[in-house]
Amino acid sequence: MKGYRKYFGQKLLWFFITLIVAVALNFVLPRLMPTDPVNAITGKIAGGMSDSSAIKEVYEFYQKQFGLDKPMITQFFLFVKNALRGDFGISFSQYPRTVADIISSSIGWTLALQIPAIIVGWILGNVLGAVAAYKRGIWDKGVMPLFMFLGNVPAFAMAIVLLVLFAMKWKIAPSGGGYSSQMIPNMSWKFVKSVLSHYWLPFLSVVIISIGGQAVGMRSMSIYELNADYVKYSRFLGIKDGKIVKYVFRNAMLPQVTGLAMSLGTSIGGALVAETIFSYPGLGTTMLSAVTSSDYPLISATTLIITIMVLLVTLFLDVIYAFIDPRVKAAQFD
Amino acid sequence: MGKVILEVKNLKTKYITRFHEDVYSVDGVSLKIEEGKSLGIAGESGCGKSTLALSMMGYYFPPLHYTSGDIIIDGVNISGMDPDKVRTTILGSEIAYIPQAAMNALNPTMKIIRFIEDVIHAHDKSVSKQEIRSRAEAYFKEVGLPPEVLDRHAVELSGGMKQRTVIAVSTILSPKVLIADEPSSALDVTSQKMVIKMMKDLMKNGHIRAMMFITHELPLLYNVTDDIAVMYAGQLVEYGSAHEMVFDPIHPYSHGLMGSILVPEEGTRGANLTAIPGTPPNLKKPPVGCRFAERCKYAKPQCFYTAPAERMFGENGTRMYRCLMDEEELREVYANE
Repeated sequence: MKGYRKYFGQKLLWFFITLIVAVALNFVLPRLMPTDPVNAITGKIAGGMSDSSAIKEVYEFYQKQFGLDKPMITQFFLFVKNALRGDFGISFSQYPRTVADIISSSIGWTLALQIPAIIVGWILGNVLGAVAAYKRGIWDKGVMPLFMFLGNVPAFAMAIVLLVLFAMKWKIAPSGGGYSSQMIPNMSWKFVKSVLSHYWLPFLSVVIISIGGQAVGMRSMSIYELNADYVKYSRFLGIKDGKIVKYVFRNAMLPQVTGLAMSLGTSIGGALVAETIFSYPGLGTTMLSAVTSSDYPLISATTLIITIMVLLVTLFLDVIYAFIDPRVKAAQFD
Repeated sequence: MGKVILEVKNLKTKYITRFHEDVYSVDGVSLKIEEGKSLGIAGESGCGKSTLALSMMGYYFPPLHYTSGDIIIDGVNISGMDPDKVRTTILGSEIAYIPQAAMNALNPTMKIIRFIEDVIHAHDKSVSKQEIRSRAEAYFKEVGLPPEVLDRHAVELSGGMKQRTVIAVSTILSPKVLIADEPSSALDVTSQKMVIKMMKDLMKNGHIRAMMFITHELPLLYNVTDDIAVMYAGQLVEYGSAHEMVFDPIHPYSHGLMGSILVPEEGTRGANLTAIPGTPPNLKKPPVGCRFAERCKYAKPQCFYTAPAERMFGENGTRMYRCLMDEEELREVYANE
């Protein structure tokens, strides 16, 4: 038990060290961009003004509003202090909406799209890889290469092809958005139906792309495990193939768990392309517009969410691996 | 003569490579092991020792294929049996196997007890888990393994411990025949000794009734088994009792093989060690004549085109050798060296 505590203690310590470094980078990096967002806002608001002192006043007002008049280090501690309370400040580009408000209205869309799509793609990919390794034939020589090809199609190209085929040519799917543009989000059956009809095309684009990559890994792990000595030995002890296949796929799955967790961790970043092309109202779209408009608070907040998700997933992996893979346990606890 | 537990009659198996070439790796092997006896198989790498072990299990999967011959365990011929039936009724319970690479023989992510449960359930579904645990604990204690091992994973065990665990798992159903393929080759001498002792005890306590021990280490065989057979290029070239084989080998190959090892016995000290030149023949195209002819110091022209048959000799005719030359002729040749 002491081994466990030390192991988890260490993992937790590293988690916090990485988190602190990541938060600092998240804060600093957008602010190193050469554009001045306050200038842009001032330009918008003071568009018709000719009085330079009035323009200056507007500029200073917003600088104060966003806290940009204070030195960088003070800004950082303010940022951390506020972030701990869940307050990420006010968005520059969508002023006066708060960052927290923008994120909370878009993160749900992203998670609802990405998590099921990644999990479905992962499951299908693993099944395909395992079947290709075990049954060979058409699965290995036909279906597998097809999905490998599809998996290597760039995400934007896949999204465009799907959009052209399903939305433009066959007109069986809407061309974009999260729900019909004539509707206001509510809990009615009609709205849910509209959401679902907008959902399946972006969902499909994520699933199709992820199958190939997962299948390749699973196939080679399965082939490796199928030829392992314990398979031969188990056969010679009279154990049935069905049982042995279970041993093999359980062992082959272990590295795949890492793959799943990592893609869940990076799902928000990965959502960017699909969401942009399908004009899906998720965090990816939000992040893209934040970057293009130098919206520091929004960039910091979205990247922080991504960082925290990746870190949490890594920590979670370290913890569960110790339980599901005795090899890791033996290597780490000694 | 005791009861014959394992008999192999003219067994032939082959590998079919991915280029559809046949490799005749076991080509007409016949042998017998009586109750309570052990047989050692010696030979250099690639001579077909391990393939013989695999072939004798009566269960084949690619690239190994059965061609002809009989495997009779305690009166039951298993070579014609349905593979699934062999698996459920023979493997593990009648004939058990200890693989060459016992280090990796256990599933790394499984506790030993879970694996034992699967082994026992593969033959008898009705045994409860508690029953299996108490049986396994008692058995592990008996063979000198701490019962805690049952709750470990293979990665948590040392090499020697892993090997002994594999032996214990293989024999938990008290099989009649145990086939051990180089069970001690990867171990240090202390662990080797423990493994050998464990196998001898299994025989003594009646957990197994006959044993075949494959190794390239001849001195080990002399100390472990009752009889020794020497294998060359897919065939047995000679067999006899361990003592006869070490001190009076008759086939030129076994003669050369025994001359290449040190035996810690009176009278053999100071003898010069000799090596056999050349390499074994390609088993895709075995020679038409004697397979050893090319490397044989005493080969005559007819050796290259006439395949020698097995010839029985010795007291009661229990020894066998496979050579065109007569026993007396060979003895004379050896004496004049």
